[in-house]
Amino acid sequence: MAARVRLLELQLLVLPALLGIVGLLTIYLSGTGSTRWSWSDIWVSLVFMGMVLGTSVWLSLIGFSGDQVLFPLVAMLSGLGLLLSQRLQLVLQHDAGWATLAQRQLVYLVMSFGLLWGTLTFLRRLDWLRRYKYTAAVVGLALTVVTMLFGVEIQGARLWLDLGVVTVQPGELVKVLLVVFLAAYLDDYRNLIATGYRLGPVTIPPLPYLLPMLVMWGLSVLAVVLQRDLGNALLLFGIFLAMLYMATGRIAYVAAGLLTFAAAVWVALHLFSHVMVRIQVWLNPWSQPLHAGFQPIQADYAFAHGHLFGTGLGFGFPQFVPLVASDYALAALGEELGLLGTTAVLGLYVLLVARGTLIALRARGSFVRLLAAGLTVVLGLQTLIILGGNVRLLPLTGITLPFISAGGSSLLTNFLIVALLLKASERVGELR
Amino acid sequence: MSWFVRSAALVAATAIVAYGVATIEERTDPRWLVLLAIVGLLWGIALWPATVRQAHPVDRAMIHVAAVIGIGFLLVATQLIRAQALDRERIQSRVVSTGTEVVADPRRQVLTPESRRGRILARDGTVLAETRVGEDGRSRRVYPFGPAAYLAGYYSPALYGAANVELAYDGALSGRTRMRRLGEWIDGILNRPTPGYDVVLTIDPELQSEADRLLGGRAGAVVLLDARTGAVLAMASAPTFDPNALSVGTRATPEELEAARAYWASLQQSNDGRLVLRATQGRYPPGSTFKTVTLAAALESGIANLDTLYRDEGAFTVGSRVIIEQNRPDPNRVSYTLLEGYGYSLNVVFAQLGLQLGASRLSEAAHRFGFGESIPFDLPVTASVVSVDTGYLTNPAGLAETSFGQGELLVTPLQMALVAAAVVNGGEEPVPFLVEKIQTASGEIVEQHRPRAWRRALSPETAMQLEQAMRWSVEHGYARGAQIPAAVVGGKTGTAEVGDRPPHAWFIGFAGREEPQYVVAVVVENAGSGTEVALPIGRALLERALGR
Repeated sequence: MAARVRLLELQLLVLPALLGIVGLLTIYLSGTGSTRWSWSDIWVSLVFMGMVLGTSVWLSLIGFSGDQVLFPLVAMLSGLGLLLSQRLQLVLQHDAGWATLAQRQLVYLVMSFGLLWGTLTFLRRLDWLRRYKYTAAVVGLALTVVTMLFGVEIQGARLWLDLGVVTVQPGELVKVLLVVFLAAYLDDYRNLIATGYRLGPVTIPPLPYLLPMLVMWGLSVLAVVLQRDLGNALLLFGIFLAMLYMATGRIAYVAAGLLTFAAAVWVALHLFSHVMVRIQVWLNPWSQPLHAGFQPIQADYAFAHGHLFGTGLGFGFPQFVPLVASDYALAALGEELGLLGTTAVLGLYVLLVARGTLIALRARGSFVRLLAAGLTVVLGLQTLIILGGNVRLLPLTGITLPFISAGGSSLLTNFLIVALLLKASERVGELR
Repeated sequence: MSWFVRSAALVAATAIVAYGVATIEERTDPRWLVLLAIVGLLWGIALWPATVRQAHPVDRAMIHVAAVIGIGFLLVATQLIRAQALDRERIQSRVVSTGTEVVADPRRQVLTPESRRGRILARDGTVLAETRVGEDGRSRRVYPFGPAAYLAGYYSPALYGAANVELAYDGALSGRTRMRRLGEWIDGILNRPTPGYDVVLTIDPELQSEADRLLGGRAGAVVLLDARTGAVLAMASAPTFDPNALSVGTRATPEELEAARAYWASLQQSNDGRLVLRATQGRYPPGSTFKTVTLAAALESGIANLDTLYRDEGAFTVGSRVIIEQNRPDPNRVSYTLLEGYGYSLNVVFAQLGLQLGASRLSEAAHRFGFGESIPFDLPVTASVVSVDTGYLTNPAGLAETSFGQGELLVTPLQMALVAAAVVNGGEEPVPFLVEKIQTASGEIVEQHRPRAWRRALSPETAMQLEQAMRWSVEHGYARGAQIPAAVVGGKTGTAEVGDRPPHAWFIGFAGREEPQYVVAVVVENAGSGTEVALPIGRALLERALGR
């Protein structure tokens, strides 16, 4: 089939490409206070622009016929993330790492684009993944266990594996593996799980078929809890419930799941003191204004300072918020881009979820549909949990904001998800 | 779902959000979170995607999950709108001091140069606090008028935050008011710096100096109010602190910071409550000045009038407690009217009166004067109480002692000044106020305080009788020393016993040319009798006020 130009995608990509250039110029000029600049000041944006447009052209060349809206959305978000890292680089003290924050983020982004190209070019069929569902489960569990045993602790959570040169966060990949496993398994046993055994008027859930899933899920949640990573526990739980519901369409499972979750929260509250502290700090950060509450208080100040239109890139004080680049990316955006900026970012994520759902609905093959829907839930739920924490809708957790937060593992994983979604969208609108 | 249900749910959700934003200040107040949960459900009803009946169950489930996530994003947006637009000023102005450190928005130091902070002025324009820029370009907050410096408070953004007027009116001083919200809001959106407003106090510098001089550094407090409006004309408190030594700017040198820390430490170590504003936060047993309240309760309830006769034989036994009378003008006389009992401050008479009244009527009368409540005021206040233990008044001895001002009573000087104000104001207590107006640097008035009534403590008839009693006390009773030529004067002294130490001296009173214009309350700690120590201070201040 002849290469068809992905015109819509190219048109949509003009926006993120310009965003990178204008944003970086603003950041640079706000520091110097003049209007003189040279091309070398914005080489990072030019690289970004090249990658984004190059990817689209490459996709046209290989005759990729998938969704044309998803990639511009992702480009926009990751462009914002790149801008944020360039912005924060100016004010953050040099932190430990093999390069500066801005350089690292650029390298991660290049790697992520590489991953996207590679996946789209070499992965023939998504159905291929379903054959490896138990492999995915085992690898996922193994990664979790390894992290638990040999991980290094950063900020009270043991989530990182130190590989000498870099530290990676295997938990990010585990989410994708879990979705792959759940999608394949649920697709295989969907009918059995949905109907259950009838015993007079009572329907008993088919425990033997639920069991492997429950074990897999229970072990990952347990590991996550032992690692004190509450955000990921909530995320895994949400993924599990959502996929169970999507596969069976039975609300009873969701209700039962929520009940067990409430019970688990209650137990955790009494068992782990740090959970209690989290909740207290969430409800009233002023109870510990110098310790645990310091970060949310400073983030509130940053949001409030942003007001409607923000101070403009380069004119805020994101350095006042501790760990702003990983935990509180939205606060930094909120201060400099204002309420308009933050709602726009929210809008981008909503569009991303909507597009992902649309891809899942249009995809062919029940496994691919479940996989796409599950991956969309991963993105949407993760965003929701961390943003909810940032705006104090939920207790704050240490998970990353997809595409925007600094961090390589998270960026690579999210690009993998996007690649899989794009793959799932292939043949959309085509007659078979 | 029908469009009707959907729009009804949407309207209800909007109403709930509006209600929550208006009534609940904190974004993590559990009540607000519950409202948000309800709003989430309503949005679910309003925006639930309609799927065709024949749709595949999996399709439907996928759409449902997406819808739930979408509603989650809407809730995030709601919180964001609060943080970035609606609650913005509340968040930005929140400052908490832990005693050693202050948590505040660090942007305030960076963005609002201290030189833009407004001044605090006395009513005639005397500067109480202003920011001066030194030769080295560094600004410094100074308090040039010593006698009222501690009312202005301190402003110490680098170390200890702020106190008193500097804290209570921090918004206006740094350029935010209620009246000009729109203009300031636009300035805020455009990131234009707003200059601070000047805060003008009701303090009369001459009377304030006089009050400070009369107190003479002895521990205690003096409050002089305009009886009609509640304006604070003088409010002295001792011992106190020098805000000049605490005000360190953000660009202070290490030596200045060190000096401020040393001074702060010395304030903490001196342990005599120098940071407490005794006039509004100091609580003392009121002694016989409280007989005014007991008398008010008796007259109001009708169990006695000013001419009712009581026996006073020099001692009175309640349970196991023997009350010894030391105040009788003539040891051979045993029968006194209630008016005389008040004017001669007879404890035995008031002990009987209190027992006759009973606990509930007495404490009810005190509460009508504002006991048990924080007086609405521009500075931090402490509530006065009738008794510390709830059951104390049920004990007859406790009730009797409370009736003449001992027992477990703890009152602030401001509260006692308001008691006098109620007496001369036809029974109504005004809201006391210290800040008269907020104006721009060029004198344009932005906000003007309007005198308001706080509460009705007495009926006009009782108030008239009490005024008569207080005047009798000055004309014929033990407050004779308070007479001022060609003026109407009333008053009541008090000598409050405090364990083994010398008693606190009290005086409350009023004075005016034709009718009462000013009320005063004086307390001097461990200084002796009210008549000898506190009354002369009150009289001198009232006379000075009448001469203004």
